[in-house]
Amino acid sequence: MSDIRLKKGHDIRIAGVPSKELVSGTSSTSIALIPIEFPSVKPKLLVKEGDAVTIGTPLFFDKVHPEIKFASPGGGTIQKIQFGARRKIERIIIALDKEESALTTEIFTNNSLVSLGKEKVIETILSANLWHLIRQRPFNKIACPEDNPKAIFVSGLNTAPLSVDLELALKGKEKEFQSGLDVLTNLTDGKTHLTLPKSSILAGMKNVDIHTISGAHPAGNVGIQIHHIDPINPHEVVWTVSAQHVVTIGKLFLSGVYDPSIVVSVGGPSVTSPEHISTRVGAPFTGLLENRIEEGKHRIIHGDVLTGQKASMRYYLGSYDTTLSVIPISYERPVLGWIRPGTSKNAYSLTKTFLSFGKSLFNFSTLQNGAERGLVPFEVWEDMLPMDILPNPLYRSILAKDVEEMEKLGIYECDPEDFALCSFACPSKIDVGNAIKQGLELMEKEG
Amino acid sequence: MKFLKKYFEKGGKLEYFFPIFEMVDTILFATDKQTKSGPHIRDNIDLKRAMTMVIIALIPAVIFGIINTGYQQAQALGIERGWIDNLFVGMGYFLPILIVSYAAGGFWEILFALVRKHEVDEGFFVTGLLIPLIVPATIPLWQVAVATSFGVVIGKMIFGGTGMNIFNPALTARAFLFFSYPGNISGDLVWIAGADGYSGATALSVSASQEGANAVSLLTEMTQFDYSWWNLFMGWVPGSIGETSALMILIGAAFLIVTKIGSWRIMTGSVIGLVGTSLLTNMFSDYSTNTMLSLTPHYHLVMGGFLFGTVFMATDPVTAAFTNRGRWIYGIMIGLLTVVIRSANPAYPEGTMLAILLMNAFSPLIDHFVVQGNIKRRVARYAK
Repeated sequence: MSDIRLKKGHDIRIAGVPSKELVSGTSSTSIALIPIEFPSVKPKLLVKEGDAVTIGTPLFFDKVHPEIKFASPGGGTIQKIQFGARRKIERIIIALDKEESALTTEIFTNNSLVSLGKEKVIETILSANLWHLIRQRPFNKIACPEDNPKAIFVSGLNTAPLSVDLELALKGKEKEFQSGLDVLTNLTDGKTHLTLPKSSILAGMKNVDIHTISGAHPAGNVGIQIHHIDPINPHEVVWTVSAQHVVTIGKLFLSGVYDPSIVVSVGGPSVTSPEHISTRVGAPFTGLLENRIEEGKHRIIHGDVLTGQKASMRYYLGSYDTTLSVIPISYERPVLGWIRPGTSKNAYSLTKTFLSFGKSLFNFSTLQNGAERGLVPFEVWEDMLPMDILPNPLYRSILAKDVEEMEKLGIYECDPEDFALCSFACPSKIDVGNAIKQGLELMEKEG
Repeated sequence: MKFLKKYFEKGGKLEYFFPIFEMVDTILFATDKQTKSGPHIRDNIDLKRAMTMVIIALIPAVIFGIINTGYQQAQALGIERGWIDNLFVGMGYFLPILIVSYAAGGFWEILFALVRKHEVDEGFFVTGLLIPLIVPATIPLWQVAVATSFGVVIGKMIFGGTGMNIFNPALTARAFLFFSYPGNISGDLVWIAGADGYSGATALSVSASQEGANAVSLLTEMTQFDYSWWNLFMGWVPGSIGETSALMILIGAAFLIVTKIGSWRIMTGSVIGLVGTSLLTNMFSDYSTNTMLSLTPHYHLVMGGFLFGTVFMATDPVTAAFTNRGRWIYGIMIGLLTVVIRSANPAYPEGTMLAILLMNAFSPLIDHFVVQGNIKRRVARYAK
């Protein structure tokens, strides 16, 4: 139990904040599972076009870890398997049946969950083909079932721009959430940590260590919380599960069925009615975004505006996606941009170099607002990173590909998402988050 | 600009000169570069604007420096002149230096951009303005051109350009002048423009001029110039063009700190270093004939180039330390070394330039120790 107060970081005041009401999404006739969203996985298909599947049927497995299979998020027939360059499996699209059936696994009573034992829990999650819900740090990839994590972390708040309000998403699911936590406690000999905001509907959770955290983004990032609660040392692994997936796991153990429902937030300056939508994993973007986007050219992003990826209307909701953001594409070129005074309408900066005062929400666009330059280290990186990590020396060690130095400087504790704000604020327009990603890839390769 | 773009783009007739087109184009209109991945939205600050802020912060010192150049000449010649006339007279000395500095530096910047095929960096806008401010108004223009070229090429370009240099280019240029042509940048004869042969010692040389005396009383006894603390603070004294007025520099410092472009850690650290060290030397001044030891901190602060160097040159983020703790140490060391050099070397009392250049060289070492501290903390946690 600790109380973490962060002074660094920033909550970007982007327009199009999702309203605090939960609406149900339109039901769709097809959904998809997206193998490329698991970069650590070498997928091998278990189904072919035309096969009938139920919710929970494994669609493919990982060649490196054949025991890890991936559940179908819906029941119906395999409509199409889309391949990308070098026959990478991009999407498995499933035409849904009216009445979907589901794969069933063992059912447990609520009281027995805390004492199931590690093996039983792993076996059940693997047999439900949902192991990918459990991820590990460092490297932020699917956990390896043979590992012995020193702790398990669940973040009970989202602070990323336009992200899902977990208080809203988890309301009425406290019981399943508790069951999910009970299950997870079996997986580690160490502690299971749940980090919450100052007041939370989850404050009464049992069998876990509850921590409170306050401060701006990235306070909700699980990596920041790990750093302050029980930091990762070399050769150590911790596991993380996102809060909504804790509910999924809880439901699985109580009912024996995979419930793919999930709450996503849709927001951004281009969204006419930014909302929280109750939908399901794999839902097509058309159903989520249609009639919600203003006229004009826009960039659709799956994920939040800081860490998400470019997408389009033809995309489907990924297994980890809970935020969809839409921002306008702008090619506007202000006259004499380097000296214009700027107002709160047309300039947003963490520096005080514009005459933009007030706290109004800002209509961000895809403009980079400058070209990339050599690194001029103003103090912005340090101000955006609430960790005992030295961003500048770490960045330089990554550029130098100095694996030893990177490890010493704590790269195992880092994840690109924690550095996204540094990239946002950098006057030299350097993407630090991407550098961290490359550094971690190098560590994994050399490791 | 769109109609011109096709000539400069790949395959166009003037393809080779794209960096020049790009420079003019983005000076007129902000770039429309798009985010690719990672953060899809970005802060509105870019390096162009950051550098512009430094230039804005320099404006009070520039205007005051120009007027003061005219004023000092009028004083030396014994004529009465209003401040507007002083401004025009001062312009006559300042503008040629500025133009030569921008022309020489701009030439090298663009040449390197063309050869290396990258965009023209905006860092030189600041360097080109700093150089005229840290030389006396009497400086021969050819020396400005040579020094600027040295500062830009040796001080910056050979390391790879913006972000890679070890020494502040403007200070490199000044150091070059100081060691190559000391007669034109130090001594008693160079500080008043347009009054040939007029000898006037700067406040720093006055306070070091006699052994076994008290520096502050030497300053107050000076009759040729008003070297009272208040006048030194206001800046109506001879010196390099931009460095004399503590007040104007402090206005610039406040602007840099508020906009978050200048590091308050470095500035504060360096003032702490200077005050602390001069208090220490004051304690020893009774036991030594070195008059500089008796100079009190508040005089140290307003004399010579200390404030100008601290606010506009020590804070250059590229050549300073790049960890927050390192920035403190770096600042404190600059203040400390300034006093040490001023006191230990009465022949050349100005110490700020050398202090900053020296700490530029040592900033990677400072960072090394800060990094080691961070690593040790991590290892200690690991060993537990």
